[in-house]
Amino acid sequence: MTTAAPTPTATPVAASVPLLQVDDLVKHFPVRSGIVFKHTIGSVKAVDGVSFAIRRGRTFAVVGESGCGKSTAARAILRLLEPTSGSVRFEGEEVTTAGPTRMRQLRREMQMIFQDPYASLNPRMTVRTILSEPFKIHDLPEKGRVDELLALVGLSPEHARRYPHEFSGGQRQRVGIARALALDPKLVICDEPVSALDVSIRAQVLNLLEDLQDQLGLTYLFIAHDLSVVRHIADEVAVMYLGSIVEVADRDELFEQASHPYTQALISSVPVPDPIRERSRQRILVTGDPPSPVNPPSGCRFRTRCPKFANELSEDERRRCVDERPALVVRDGSAGHPAACHYAEARQLV
Amino acid sequence: MSADGQAPDPGPLLSVEDLRVHFHTDAGVVKAVDGVSWSVGRGETLGIVGESGSGKSVSALAVMGLVPVPPGKFESGRILFGGRDLLTTGEKELRAIRGKEISMIFQDPLTSLNPVFKIGHQIAEVIQAHEKVGRVAARRRAVELLGEVGIPNPAQRAREYPHQFSGGMRQRAMIAMALALDPAVLLADEPTTALDVTVQAQIMDLLLRLQAQRGTAVVLITHDLGLVAGHADRVVVMYAGRVAETAGVDDLYYRPRHAYTLGLLSSLARLDRRRTDRLQPIVGQPPSMIRVPAGCAFHPRCPFATDVCHQERPLLAAQSEAGVDHRAACHHADEVARAPAAVAAP
Repeated sequence: MTTAAPTPTATPVAASVPLLQVDDLVKHFPVRSGIVFKHTIGSVKAVDGVSFAIRRGRTFAVVGESGCGKSTAARAILRLLEPTSGSVRFEGEEVTTAGPTRMRQLRREMQMIFQDPYASLNPRMTVRTILSEPFKIHDLPEKGRVDELLALVGLSPEHARRYPHEFSGGQRQRVGIARALALDPKLVICDEPVSALDVSIRAQVLNLLEDLQDQLGLTYLFIAHDLSVVRHIADEVAVMYLGSIVEVADRDELFEQASHPYTQALISSVPVPDPIRERSRQRILVTGDPPSPVNPPSGCRFRTRCPKFANELSEDERRRCVDERPALVVRDGSAGHPAACHYAEARQLV
Repeated sequence: MSADGQAPDPGPLLSVEDLRVHFHTDAGVVKAVDGVSWSVGRGETLGIVGESGSGKSVSALAVMGLVPVPPGKFESGRILFGGRDLLTTGEKELRAIRGKEISMIFQDPLTSLNPVFKIGHQIAEVIQAHEKVGRVAARRRAVELLGEVGIPNPAQRAREYPHQFSGGMRQRAMIAMALALDPAVLLADEPTTALDVTVQAQIMDLLLRLQAQRGTAVVLITHDLGLVAGHADRVVVMYAGRVAETAGVDDLYYRPRHAYTLGLLSSLARLDRRRTDRLQPIVGQPPSMIRVPAGCAFHPRCPFATDVCHQERPLLAAQSEAGVDHRAACHHADEVARAPAAVAAP
């Protein structure tokens, strides 16, 4: 996989350097108005200053509800969407300023699995064509690789002759995974890889992803809205709300000592398949819908829906939420991990 | 829902008996529902659980008279409501029941609302279709209902179009419409699947409150075993167009007696506990509804399957030692009961 092209950073990659380091990543979409003379009247702050690092061989999950910017962040990292500002470093090398040739090489190392295996596979191509395309694009020999890839994801060589519509959802997602792995990537971004699948199939695909990680030493950036899946598969979890990370921690710490009111609301909103526990659980309900990312609230962005802001804080305490945007730092009440809440207070909810 | 998880009132309000709905297609006969029975009583919540293609929505559609005939065909069965069989009731009488006595909410509120009419107008239309009230009175009632389901500024929102509403607000509007005439039965088909979890929690909380106030019987159709655990009194688990198991919610989760129920519960990733090991998936895939396996439809995926499962279709038999109304269609119910529990009883 080594290439002749000059690499901007020739430093050997120490084990301590994270595989992926994202710093203050911003992606704004302009909002335009006018019929003849278009002019920008504002911007959707889809991703507004996101930073995190993923170590080799680990699974880092980003969770959040629709519109929080988690998928946009993933696409900005791969430069499928050009980031507005910020830095993305892959093995220490800056990705956001890489030229087209270098970017092409980098894309081999960073691949993506999409949510909807129905929409992400070309219906007119056989599985063989789909899986040999990456090799053609990058001008690499593919002899025998398609069969290997099929075996890797638990499909048989006969499947290569079929078209996507002949497969079930779970099998189709396996084809999507095989395509992502075709060029031996180091980082795989999984964007809601099991959300479209039936309950009994989900576990199969999650196990496959874990096996592949062990076998190939993959690093995952796992984008999801399903917290149960995240608790199972992730090593570390970041919670996003309206374009920013509000809390980040190791998996069990996040679920057992959630410190940001939004994380607490999310966790307490997810139903668990245990009737007696479900009936006795403490629910923290948030009110209303997320505000528009075009015009986010001042100060803390969650304050308009925050149950703590509404029910527990004094007038003076609230002023701080309105005036000052809380930074993502370790706080007195946040159980040792960063939380972007002035009044962070760890709670056990499950 | 009652505190102990058992049905509050045994007298069924709506019952479906031995319903068979088959679709005749070019590829073959799809037995979408093949001998399904369930019932729901006043103030009770019945959960119908199944994966896509299991036929979990079809019996509810049949109740509403929404199964297209042809290609659909009712091979057998009765749907009893208020002493009448809805399957033999004429369209005119059915129309008086549908929307007024029994109403339904769907997964995707955007496709269930008409994009070119204002929300308030659409709710008023439902009221006017069933009651002799004037336009102004119907509008006023629509605004009240929007307020009741927690929509802020209801008078103003009533004058807006569906696209101006967020997903959660649309589902609230759908609930307002479904409850406009105070129906006895509400069929909720994946009512929160398209919504975010925090909004799902709000909507379920709302449904629960309205149900408690009005004593509505709710049929909650979903694939989400968590949602059912928290909201149903009794549960029907469907597989390949048939009922695999039915029981009170606690019995079903803590003492399942069908291999499919046990498999489903064991395969779930859990939010509420630390991971111990890999997930235990159910092998294979749900069958094509055109070629449902002979014998027990679940046998190709079942770890308990023996010869009898290949040949003999198991009956939905009462599980004597278990709770009052616990039935399972499994030849190996006793072995399933002895297997390690997926959800430990507290």
